[in-house]
Amino acid sequence: MKKIDVQKQILKIAPVVALLILFAVFYMVGTIKDINVAYGMKAIINQSVVVAIVATGAVFIYTLGSFDISLGASVAVSALLGGIVYNATKSILLMLAVCVGIAVLVALFNSVLASVFNLPVFVTTIAMLSILNAVVLMLISANGTGSQIAVPSEAVAGLDNLGIKVLVLFLFEALCIFVFNFTKIGRKQKFLGSNPVCAKLTGISDKKMSIVAFVMSGIGVGLGAFLCIIYAPTLTKNTATSVGMDVIIAIVFGGMPVSGGARSKITAALIGAFSMTFLSQIMILFNLNLGIGQMVKAAIFLFVVFVATSNQRAKMLPR
Amino acid sequence: MVKDTIIEVKHMEKRFGSTIALNNVNITINRGQIIGLIGENGSGKSTVTSIISGMQRADSGEMIFRGEKWQPDSMLYALDHGIGMIVQENGTVPGITVAENIFIGEYEKFKSFSAGNGRKWGFIRRRQMMAAAEKVLDNIGVTHIAPEMLTGALDLQDRKLIEIAKIINKNPDVLIVDETTTALSQIGRDIIYKIMNRMKEENKAVIFISHDLDEIIRVCDALTILRDGKIIITFKKDEFDEQLIKTSMIGRELQGDYYRSDYDGSYESEVVLEIKNVQLNNRLKDFNLQLHKGEILGIGGLSHCGMHELGKVLFRSIMPDAGEVLVHGKNIKDEAEAMKQKMGYVAKDRDIESLCLNASIRDNIAIAGLDEFAVNNFLVLPNKESKYVQEQIDSLSIKCTDKDQYVSALSGGNKQKVVFGKWIGRGSEILILDCPTRGVDIGVKQAMYQLMYTMKKAGKSIIIISEEMSELIGMADRLVVMKDGRIMKEFPRSKELCEADIIQYMI
Repeated sequence: MKKIDVQKQILKIAPVVALLILFAVFYMVGTIKDINVAYGMKAIINQSVVVAIVATGAVFIYTLGSFDISLGASVAVSALLGGIVYNATKSILLMLAVCVGIAVLVALFNSVLASVFNLPVFVTTIAMLSILNAVVLMLISANGTGSQIAVPSEAVAGLDNLGIKVLVLFLFEALCIFVFNFTKIGRKQKFLGSNPVCAKLTGISDKKMSIVAFVMSGIGVGLGAFLCIIYAPTLTKNTATSVGMDVIIAIVFGGMPVSGGARSKITAALIGAFSMTFLSQIMILFNLNLGIGQMVKAAIFLFVVFVATSNQRAKMLPR
Repeated sequence: MVKDTIIEVKHMEKRFGSTIALNNVNITINRGQIIGLIGENGSGKSTVTSIISGMQRADSGEMIFRGEKWQPDSMLYALDHGIGMIVQENGTVPGITVAENIFIGEYEKFKSFSAGNGRKWGFIRRRQMMAAAEKVLDNIGVTHIAPEMLTGALDLQDRKLIEIAKIINKNPDVLIVDETTTALSQIGRDIIYKIMNRMKEENKAVIFISHDLDEIIRVCDALTILRDGKIIITFKKDEFDEQLIKTSMIGRELQGDYYRSDYDGSYESEVVLEIKNVQLNNRLKDFNLQLHKGEILGIGGLSHCGMHELGKVLFRSIMPDAGEVLVHGKNIKDEAEAMKQKMGYVAKDRDIESLCLNASIRDNIAIAGLDEFAVNNFLVLPNKESKYVQEQIDSLSIKCTDKDQYVSALSGGNKQKVVFGKWIGRGSEILILDCPTRGVDIGVKQAMYQLMYTMKKAGKSIIIISEEMSELIGMADRLVVMKDGRIMKEFPRSKELCEADIIQYMI
């Protein structure tokens, strides 16, 4: 008979259950308050999709036990350059290519920098955050009109529909699940995150795996930047500012272990991104202001980390 | 000396899911006694002691310690109240100094000012802490470890010694030593034997878990044997009989050979692995060695003689300052290339270097065999992976609930089988085994020795690095003795070879 660890099973399904509960609460409160729930759902998908895509790519970095704090700024720079290129060429495809290309280049630069200087990846991403924020300001002042760069809304209006967004999300999610669960790369990523010493002695190159992780994350950032332009074609210095933090919260909220490793899951990003948006919408329905909403999110973040690591801490503390 | 009872375990039961770990266990330990607790991996030894030491709780039963009911809720509580355990795994924090590890949880006593309520405040007086740590280390006879050193920079043995110092500093009435000696060289072992004997003289008690029967017979006053979570028998010192103990442990007589029985030390002339003029700090000095096809090469010496570093240099996980490592005449530059040349490396520090404890058996075995079953060397199909892993589990008889069980939940012997499965599954032709039978019971040891011999017969080449001379004598075609980074002596396989012949070249 199989040994069933109840706590592990609960922790495994908890993020999905939390998402379903949040959906139910949103539906009930929305119905009671007589709002258009279907319209609300569309808004939730619109808001979630960018964070979900960026977070899905970022899972590769988190699996290695590291994190990238510059993701939001990278989305902003990629979107701004994509917008500039569109305004110069009027080509949507080129805009998409620039968004993805720039994001991948930034990600590669991060990982190569970490490899060259032998630094923890998150250290280089802190430096990158400052650089990218400066680039955002420079791009806007050099190319924009006043304090923004605007892509004509009629140019992207045809793409601003849920079908395309969900399709992009689905395709990227499928790619990541495939790479993560069905290729040597994914297996090596998880093993490296679990125990870098043992991974090295099993012939796994941490530098190569780090580069792959950042490339996957870069693709997610690029696609996120493209969808940002479609959703809000007027780009300012505030574009995607909250994405970086939302990605971190979403990944943890979706049940991803904070230490990465073998228990990492791609779907954590998707579940977490939608759960977070439902939570934000529920707080709006209860007329909670933005400040209180942020505090509630922070409290939930701490609670989730506390519960997710309770088993681990109980084992470690006595030593 | 009064031989009164110090701790008593009554009707203890413990289950992990459907697995019965302890079944009505009763043990009585007297003052002034060193009691050995032995049994196969997974027999319940560590479960009993982990409950006594507060690491976990029993499902039922009771414990009496110094005449009072004993129910510790943590290891810290147990240690503060008289029971300390030196654990099998790593019990130190790597990112802090040796002194900080020794006094972990007690930093307050090094603060400057008294708050009047028994508590203190102010900055921690670092110099005072270092001096106190030095005294604690001196007290157990360890003089080569500086208190200000970062713990993570030390090797397994030294980290273990720090842990011993930390426990002994709390002056426990009962000391539990859980398979600690397997991580120690003879010097380390002597330190722990002295501590155990001192505790015995002070009318305290020691519970000693080890798979080294010679050691346990020599050191203990009584032996309690556990099998499948039950107490089988307790022997007094005058009843010790090695064969009877072995039979009681495994529930049957050991069939077949323990080591290999032949004294034919022949192998093929083809050199498969060669190390030329290697220099590594002071660990290896102008080192040259050849391994041949179908050879079992034993490398022995004291723990710090350089043999463990040699294993890593051979697998290219340490870059030497000079010299080269050739596999089939080809220079290799890293572990990945070594693996391409069908090399495998079993590290001494199994839990850190050979396994991911928080990953499954599947993850651990499959990771080294990806090249073997991945379609087009890229695509991992779950059914192919499962088949590959299950083959290793079956062929090595790994005791587990299923292949998705976490390795951390396995006993020492089964963990080591997973490591073997990792390398054997991918068809390794050259195996470097650093202390391959550390912390495994005699049944598993015998199986591993027979596996090595079968591999030799199949033309595979094996290097066994070990501090156990008996296993080198028992298994090697050729035995090299190292001292201070150099080869001191080479012995061919011989019926006449004995430990005394070797030891004179080690020390």
